This record gives sequence, C-alpha cells and structure tokens, in this order.
Amino acid sequence: MFTIRWSLPAICCTLLMASRPPAPPFSPPEVRRDPSPSNPPAATTEVLVAAAADLRFAMDSLVAIFTRENPDIIVKPTYGSSGNFFQQIKNGAPFDLFFSADVDYPRQLEQQKMTISVVHVYGTGQLVLWSKTLDPAHDQMNTLLDKSVNKIAIANPDHAPYGKRAEETLRYYNLYDKVKDKLIFGENIAQTAQYAQSGAADVGMIALSLALSPAMRQAGGKYWLIPPTAHQPLLQGFVLLPHSKGNPGAEKFSQFCSSATATSILRGFGFGEPSN
Amino acid sequence: MIDWLPLWLSFRLALVTTTILLVLSIPLSYWLAYTRHRWKVIIEAGVSLPMVLPPSVLGFYLLLAFSPAGSFGRLLDQYLDIRLVFTFRGLVVASLIYSLPFMVNPLLAGFKNLPPHLLEASRTLGKSDWTTLRRILLPNIRPSLITGAILAFAHTIGEFGVVMMIGGSIPGRTRVASVAIYDEVQSLNYPMANRYAAVLLLFSFTILLIVYSINHRFSQSKSVL
Amino acid sequence: MTAPPTCLHFQATKSLHTAQGTRQFDVTFDLPQGRLLALYGPSGAGKTTLLRILAGLTDTSSGNIVMEGDTWLDHSRRFILPTRRRPIGFVFQDFALFPHLTVRQQLEYALPKDADRSIIPDLLTLMELETLQHHRPTLLSGGQQQRIAIARAIARRPRLLLLDEPLSPLDAAMRSKLQDYIAKAHRHFHLTTVLVSHYLPEIHALADEVIILDEGKITSRSIPSDLFPATGPIDNLRLNGEITAITQAYGACILHVLAAGTTINVVASPDSASAWRIGQKVTVAYRDFNPVILHSH
Repeated sequence: MFTIRWSLPAICCTLLMASRPPAPPFSPPEVRRDPSPSNPPAATTEVLVAAAADLRFAMDSLVAIFTRENPDIIVKPTYGSSGNFFQQIKNGAPFDLFFSADVDYPRQLEQQKMTISVVHVYGTGQLVLWSKTLDPAHDQMNTLLDKSVNKIAIANPDHAPYGKRAEETLRYYNLYDKVKDKLIFGENIAQTAQYAQSGAADVGMIALSLALSPAMRQAGGKYWLIPPTAHQPLLQGFVLLPHSKGNPGAEKFSQFCSSATATSILRGFGFGEPSN
Repeated sequence: MIDWLPLWLSFRLALVTTTILLVLSIPLSYWLAYTRHRWKVIIEAGVSLPMVLPPSVLGFYLLLAFSPAGSFGRLLDQYLDIRLVFTFRGLVVASLIYSLPFMVNPLLAGFKNLPPHLLEASRTLGKSDWTTLRRILLPNIRPSLITGAILAFAHTIGEFGVVMMIGGSIPGRTRVASVAIYDEVQSLNYPMANRYAAVLLLFSFTILLIVYSINHRFSQSKSVL
Repeated sequence: MTAPPTCLHFQATKSLHTAQGTRQFDVTFDLPQGRLLALYGPSGAGKTTLLRILAGLTDTSSGNIVMEGDTWLDHSRRFILPTRRRPIGFVFQDFALFPHLTVRQQLEYALPKDADRSIIPDLLTLMELETLQHHRPTLLSGGQQQRIAIARAIARRPRLLLLDEPLSPLDAAMRSKLQDYIAKAHRHFHLTTVLVSHYLPEIHALADEVIILDEGKITSRSIPSDLFPATGPIDNLRLNGEITAITQAYGACILHVLAAGTTINVVASPDSASAWRIGQKVTVAYRDFNPVILHSH
C-alpha cells in the first residue's frame, strides 16, 4: 500500500549509497581509501593530485604524456589556490600529491610531519600583466594607470601566492594606493586569468604559465613580463602526501614529475629555473 | 563530448539526500505539527536555519566539526573508519542539513492544513497514532510530500558553496556538476561548461514538469478537503 | 418496574472560554444502558465539550467517567484512558470523512484488523449506501455523507455512540430521513447514545431523555415531552409566519400568511388593513376553527 510504494525507492537508494565497488586487488588492506565510483575494475590505480591553479594547462600536458607511458594509472588533478589546498590537506583531504605555487606551503606540511617525501622544487613562477584591450608592453606598469582601466584582476592575496606577489609588486612600484579601488580578486590565479580573458577586468596580473596557454593566446591578449625583482620569488614545489602510501602509481607520477621530460615541459610553460 | 561523471554524482547526491530526508522529515514534521511542547519553536527555528544561513557558514562549521584534525573527526576516523570531509558521504551529511527545511516546511504546512477532525476521527475508531499517520494523514498530504521532495532534490542539485567548502573538487567523488561548471569556466573551457549547464537546466526543468503534472492529476481526481 | 442498570457515570469540571467570558463547566449525570440522551442548550453551553470529554478528545480539570464498569477517566489517580481504547463511535459535525477512502474503505478502516467483515454489507444496507460504496465522499451530498459518518461510527460496534449536532448542516427533508437512520441504528445495535442538538423536533423524535445545559451547568433533566407541554385543544394551536401578500376580496382584506410550510389565508377587517405590511412576522391562532392573527412582532 502506501508504505510499500515509498519504501522501495528508499531501500534502493540506501543500497546505492552504501554500495562500494570492489577495491583494486593490489591495494593493501591498511590503506584506507574511498573507492571512486568511476574506478574501473581491478587493474588500474588512481592518483589524486592537488595542483596550484597556475599549473592548469601544464599539468594537463604532463598527465597526457604520463598516461601514454602508463595507461593503467589514472591521474586526476584538481586545481585551486595553493593556500586552500594547504588548509584542505591539513583537514584530511584525500590527495596523493600536492603541487604548490608557493613552496612554503609544502614545507610547512613537511615540518608538521604531514608528508612522506621531501619537497621537490620544480620551477619558479613568473608574473605578467595581461590585457585584451591594451598593450602592456607599451606602458609597462603604468598601464594600470591608464584612463580606460576600471578593473584590475589579481589573485586573492590571502591564500593565492600569485596574489601575494601581485600586491608586493604594486607596492614596489608605489602603485598600490592609486589602484587599490580598482582591484578585483580571483579565488585563484586561474579565475583571475578568466576575469581578464572575459573582459570582466581590463587588465590582469596573472601567471606566465597561463598567459602562454592556448586558451589565453586565442583570446588575443598581450602580456608583459613583470621583472622578478619586484616581488618575492614564486618557488613552486610538490610533495607526496601520506594518502599516497602504498600507491605505486603515485610514486611513479612523482618520479615522472622530477624527470627531465617533465622539467622541459614545465619550462616550456613558463616555469623558470629555480634560483637556488 | 561530455564527461557524465559530475552529472551522475549530482543526481546521485540529490537522490540519496531526498530519500533519507523523506524518512527523517516525516516524523519530525509530524511532531512539530501536533506537539504542544513549549520548546518546539526552538526546533522550528533550528530547522529553518539552513535556509537563511550562507552556505559557506554551514560548510565552515561542518569542516571544523568533521575534520580529522579535530577531536570528533578523529574519533570517526579512528574507530568507525568514517571520513566526512572530501568524501561523497560527507556531502550527503551536509546536504541533509542544508536541504532539511525544504523538505520539512512543506510537510509541516501539509499537516497543519489537514482538518484536525481527521486525526480525532481516526482515534475514535480505535487506531493508534502511527496507524493514523500511515493510513490517513500521509495519503492526504501527498501534494506536500511531492513538493517537499522536489524542493529538496532541486536544492541539492544546485548546491555549490557547501560542496566547495567540505567537498573540495575531487573528480569522481565530490566534483558534482555545479562545481564542474565552475572548474570548466576557470579553465576557460566555456563550451564544456555550457554543456553541463544545459544538461542540468534541461534535467531540472523536466523533473519539475513531470512532478507538477502528477500533482495536477492528483488534485483533479480528488479534491482538497 | 425497576430502573435499568446504570451504564455510564459522568462527572467533569473544566474552564470554558466563551465569547461572553470564562464559564465553569461542571456536569454530573448517570445514564442507563440503551438510552438515547439528548443534550440541548444555547451555543457555548458546553454540549460539544461534554461530548468531547466523553470521547477523550478534550482535557478536564477534574473528572470521573466510568462506562460499564471500566474507568475511562479518574483525575484523582491521574488516569486517562486514551480515545482509541474507548469503545465509542463519534459522529462529528463536519462528518470528518477521510477524503481518500471510498465509502466501503471507510467502514473497513473502522474495523479492527482481524474482525468479522460481515457487518459491512449489513451496515451498507441499513444506511442505504450499497450503490455508493465505491465512491469517495467528497462528491456526495450532505445527507449521504452523514449516513457514511454514522455507519462508520457504528461499524466497530461501540458501546457508546456520540453524535455532535449531526443533522444541523442538512435541510429539513434530509433531517427527518436521517433521524430515522439514527433511530434505526440505535435500536438495531442496542447502543447507548448521546446526541447534541439545538433542534427541538429532532430531540422530540429521537431522545428518551433530555439534559439542558446552560453556561456549563445542567439546568434540567427530563423527558422531551415534559420540556414543552403538550398543546391543548386546537384553538390553542399557534403558528409563526410571515405575511407574503395582501389582497382584497368580497370587500374584505385577506392576509396571506406563510406558516409551517403552507399559506394560511386570514381575514382581517378592512379598517385594520392599513396596519399590515408584506413581510411582517405574525402569529396565527385558530379560534372556532378560523385563523386569526393573534399578534404581530
């Protein structure tokens, strides 16, 4: 009757929710992981990567090349601001690797004994001025004072490394007070680039690695490399996290990212040689 | 062309949440409708709280509560092997709290709009309150049940702020459609974002259409008392 | 002849909140088995309250109810038997039929799980509901709904039948028909019945005894005919009516008075004709078999 009609879907849904696909056979029992519903049966491993937003296009390349060589390992990157990932990882987010736009974050994790490898510095990030409507190379930093500039996009300085550096740069050039009312903050550097690309902001202070990406090139913008002396260096580093223990796929990917191949890809995407 | 996984996750989350909410909300709304307890206003206010609270506030408190870095989260982790942050389960718990008022309030209104003599008549016929609820009250608030279910379902599908706070954006686990759209926009992948958004829109509209036409047929075949 | 044994003992007090202020409800009475008791009185007197206390639907400040030896309410011992345990049938003023069940299903619902279902056809026949048994109540007429409500109330063979102004929403023709049904049910199932009404003809037709309530207290208890003394010879017959037309005939003034469902033609003297207007309410009496206007009001 009434009860039966409603209880049937209820039972189905509770079963759905409780159902877990079988864990891959080589995953040792002491590793606690939630098998993803998309996990194909048995032979593949999954590697969850927390990647700083400036790696959005570079990481896709790295993953594509890695997967060609290792088809049974599926690397799943999640992009966001490094500061956010830092908090999430401290709160138990199930990532295997953490690629940070500011090496300080993984170093802090290392100090708190929340890593299972040393921090590997893979490059330096570089900051550029990018605009669809103006040519930043012309007036360089003074582009920001142009009459037609109403909104300037930078990443949120509170938790995005590029945002912090952008703020430092503005202060270095004594422009901060003049432009601070025009600033709009992206949640991470990729969103900042999106603001500039869509025209929501007239100028953006974004990552070189994003400016070099196909999507940004297609938007038809121009950029100017901000001299690194204007801000603290953006040392980029990655580290293996405890969640990856016993996951050979994570190990392999970690090794790959330290390899010469990976390094040249990263250089191609505008990550400079680390100065130390 | 399109990765269906985020859409499937959204759908699964909404379905599980709505079903559990139905089971939980019926006794809760029944109690709120008929009790004369003095403290029921507090419960009523508490139930409606998620409606006015910014999702990030809820997400924040849930993160604090369930993070393994905190004492309760550690307890869950060590003894029950349950993680409620950055997992699908965690999203379900968050959605249950977040969509609760959208299920309870229609049910409560439904119960309150029933003529009080129905319940009394059933009692005079020797029936227990449980039997009365099952066989008399619930069948007569069917439109409210349907409304509550739609609202809770739709609300959960659209959830974004809470998911971002405690779900992260982990593909296959917590990267639901609303988050996927956000991600694709950030990747400047507008066509993909468009596809997700269009599917969600079409799906939500179709569900509403189906359910409202069912509701219509109900109200035509038997009139509201 | 010895009085039949007391079946129901009722005593209760309660504060009543009426439009005129707070009244103290304080009622005590006994009722023998098989009687049909009517409760009569003005609005707010506490008639429905009494019925609801009997059913266990309303609380009391103090009280004691014993029915056929079973205690239903004993306030001093803080004991209240819940409504569903009392072998009662209750007919609400608005019928309270379940909108989603057919007539037959209403009766089936009323029966306990493993009870004998054979009473259902009997009831349907008794209340003339056979052709309607598969209909839902919402589209049925007031009279039909009332029969369903009565049938449902007695389906589980209660010991006490309670009717709350059952016939007030109905028109005059329906009323007399339904009175028959109530009387039939009362006799057929050997019920003890308490009926709330403020309609005197109904009380006359059905009740063995009448209790008059006013402001929460019993003011009198008697048999119906004692309340309203029998009329004397026909010249004391009085009817209240209304003048619907004034015509002239044979040099006299004829007042057409609508009273008791018929038109009575009263001859008035021509010089008094100007005193009468259409629509005036008058009392007609018969003198020497002729109708006269006794007085107007």
